[in-house]
Amino acid sequence: MKMIGRSFRTALLLSCACASLTIPVRGQEFPVVTKTLKNGMKVLVQTDHSIPNVALYIFYRIGSRNEGPGTTGLSHFFEHMMFNGAKKYGPGELDKVMEANGGANNAYTTRDVTVYQDWFPRSALPLIYDIEADRIQNLSFDPQKIKSEREVVASERRLRTDNDNGGLLDEQLWATSYIAHPYQWPVVGWMSDIEHWTMEQLKHHFEMGYSPNNATMVVAGDVSPEEIFQMCEKYIEPIPTHAPPPPVTTTETEQLGERRLIVRKPSQLPLVFVAYHIPQTNSPDFYALNVLRTVLFQGESSRMYQRLVDKDEIALDVSSSVEPAFDPTIIEIAAQPKQGVDPQKCEKAMYEEIENAKNAVVSDRELEKAKNIRLADFYREMRTINGRANTIGTYEVFFGDYKKLFDAAKNYSAVTKEDVQRVAKTYFGANNRTVATLIPDNAEEKSKP
Amino acid sequence: MKRARFGLHVLAVVVAVLFAACSAAAQTLHLPPHEKVVLKNGLTVLLLEKHGVPLLNVYALVKTGSAGDPAGEDGVASITAGLLRKGTKKRTAQQFAADLDYIGAAFESEAGADFSSVSAEFLTKDLALGLELFSDALLHPTFPEAEVKKLLAQSVDAVRGAKDDPQQVLGLYYDGYLYGTHPYGRPAGGDEVSLQRIQRDAIVKFYEANYAPGNTLLAVAGEFNGAEMRKKLEEVFGAWPAHTIATPTIPATAPVKSKRLLLVDKPDATQTYFAFGNVGIARTDPDRVAIRVVNTIFGGRFTSELNEALRVESGYTYGASSFFDSRKVPGPFGVFSFTKNETTVPAIDLALQVLQKFHKQGVTDEQLKSAKSYIKGQFPPNIETSRQLAQIIASHEFYGLGDDEINQLEARVDAVTPEIAKQVIQKHFPSENLVFVLIGKASAIGPAVEKYAEKRDARPISDPGFWPPEKK
Repeated sequence: MKMIGRSFRTALLLSCACASLTIPVRGQEFPVVTKTLKNGMKVLVQTDHSIPNVALYIFYRIGSRNEGPGTTGLSHFFEHMMFNGAKKYGPGELDKVMEANGGANNAYTTRDVTVYQDWFPRSALPLIYDIEADRIQNLSFDPQKIKSEREVVASERRLRTDNDNGGLLDEQLWATSYIAHPYQWPVVGWMSDIEHWTMEQLKHHFEMGYSPNNATMVVAGDVSPEEIFQMCEKYIEPIPTHAPPPPVTTTETEQLGERRLIVRKPSQLPLVFVAYHIPQTNSPDFYALNVLRTVLFQGESSRMYQRLVDKDEIALDVSSSVEPAFDPTIIEIAAQPKQGVDPQKCEKAMYEEIENAKNAVVSDRELEKAKNIRLADFYREMRTINGRANTIGTYEVFFGDYKKLFDAAKNYSAVTKEDVQRVAKTYFGANNRTVATLIPDNAEEKSKP
Repeated sequence: MKRARFGLHVLAVVVAVLFAACSAAAQTLHLPPHEKVVLKNGLTVLLLEKHGVPLLNVYALVKTGSAGDPAGEDGVASITAGLLRKGTKKRTAQQFAADLDYIGAAFESEAGADFSSVSAEFLTKDLALGLELFSDALLHPTFPEAEVKKLLAQSVDAVRGAKDDPQQVLGLYYDGYLYGTHPYGRPAGGDEVSLQRIQRDAIVKFYEANYAPGNTLLAVAGEFNGAEMRKKLEEVFGAWPAHTIATPTIPATAPVKSKRLLLVDKPDATQTYFAFGNVGIARTDPDRVAIRVVNTIFGGRFTSELNEALRVESGYTYGASSFFDSRKVPGPFGVFSFTKNETTVPAIDLALQVLQKFHKQGVTDEQLKSAKSYIKGQFPPNIETSRQLAQIIASHEFYGLGDDEINQLEARVDAVTPEIAKQVIQKHFPSENLVFVLIGKASAIGPAVEKYAEKRDARPISDPGFWPPEKK
């Protein structure tokens, strides 16, 4: 898992958000009002009075791509520390005060961003702004809290990576797909880095990422733009701005041949992940790639499901995911082979389907289907204030403009069968591929109680 | 990656549902108006119009779940539900998938302990085809032999795969060890052995015995026109032939009156996943709102006693929580967490101390006030979508709960006093008699955890089944 969060509540997977970076029909259905504060923070408000609640998201443009060897996982650790006390709300107080006023919170970190989420009844609005302003400006670095939070993050790593086959294989896949660019290390960080970050590194990271001009705030729910802008003027605008993180200048070199890696561990089932390098989210090929991905992977009528799960009966599941990314990224394909099935059999079937998509254009009905799926998914994402805050923010941050959300219909309509074939040929080549396989190794399984 | 994380997720969802209460201080939240119609064939139809996004949710609740599985064939209800879309009188599985995906519809069918459910969601503009697909699956499945075999084989492997991730299966071992041979002890999805025993006949028999208009509640929520919808539903579902159903009654459950511990050995685990507790409450328990308030304080939110102790203060874990999974008859109550091998005993000891302290000291006025605000403030997003609303009105109808479950929740939450909280702790939170289930590296933690119970059991996670062990 690349997206890791503060607590279990993180229900909204970013991969879902990405799948629904899709077709709205008309922008006036979900009007958004924006304002840029004097300190550079952009604020987007989407009013909806259907429930008396508010979802407030703050996207900071800092993630594990802004780290380096020895400091991997620091953005995510920092995400945890943002709940551990500032000047006005001391250690443990933020959560206590927020919950006592009917609010709840969470946060998640990706390779590119750190996102803070507050969900609360509208009556708690001033309190939430007071809390957010306090921690952006005056975070405290209590050595005791750092010590115990290190343990919490280590436990999170054991949960999501070390004791989870998918998490483990995912980590190895990224580490092998990239040899130059910082996307190579895991968001949660290597265990040895989790154990060794220093106070200086932590403070430096805070100063680097947590400037108002490096953040975007999205508020959806039972509020008016006027009252939000007033809150922002009072609590957020006085916060001084400083230089954002230095640009990430390293670019990944072109992959010149297939890379393969194997993980052997005790396990009942094997697992296989395949990655291909693709462009960053705001690339013009985004829409054609999403259509291709839908045709190949989404729903039980998709080509991959039909082939691997239904017809050949060699896999339990096959899926793909692409995360929003500032820099050229990868599409990850995951196949869960049945017990005893050689993962290479799944690979072979997948490559044949990919070749089919290169050799002939998709049918009119498949193209139409992909667009319909995108439309329905869009409404599923936009039906809650929480989904809206996340989607609007994701568009604003990764496409540079939330309005692209409302252009997506047009952009998808423009995708032709030839475009889909072209992106299949461009990106899905064997030389551009990394394959990670987990092979069950149960030789030393017996341990005596 | 699209990898579901069931175990934990299930627990988390249960907790979330249990917290559900009413709105913020000044607001009083109500379920949107909805109506109930009983068709001539006995089908109960619930209609709730909700405008906002052009989506429609159709949800059928069939009043028999995995508790109605034939003995030794755990998983029949679940497999039956899973096969509904895999071949109908009109469509092969492939045709069904093609038609469904073409309109971007979502379709889910599953079985829980108390009931089975079938749900479809589609754009309002696709009403005719969406409803036709939904009714085709619900009313006219044909259970083709090839599809039966395929799904059974996949399900066996899915159980094996789940065992590679302890958090996915902890709840299944826990239910089994807590309830034994009672139907609530069965894994709803079956296990590696029970699934291989299931024949097509058992599935057809289960379908015919339970999928009938008189045993089904149909809830429709979303953007539609009420009069048109009623007419349409009568056309589509009015022809479903009625027949008599002998709904299996679920035997009563009672708390376990001893201590016992099951250690499931996963030799490569670097972290121990544990649950302990006892039998909890029924969905209609008169104390349910007070329990919700009290459990919020104990283990139902980030600043709960459990999470404060095991995560915030000690750093033993990423999360610790407690849940009441309330069902037709009393369902499980459990404390749940995980910690690295080395801190297994300190973490469990601490969780037990938190429970003892809770019994001794009860809750403070401040905690009570905070929990009430939290529940009321966090409730509204639980009735935000038509999907949630369809499930809620059907579930209320099934359990015999009225709209007051939500409309009066705020008042009921506010009525919980420290005295009531104290009684609830004594009555519903176990203290001495606890059932423990641990999944971890037995060679590292085995001897140390013996102290928790004199009656102990152990088995490797690679052995088929959960608990009791399957007889092959």
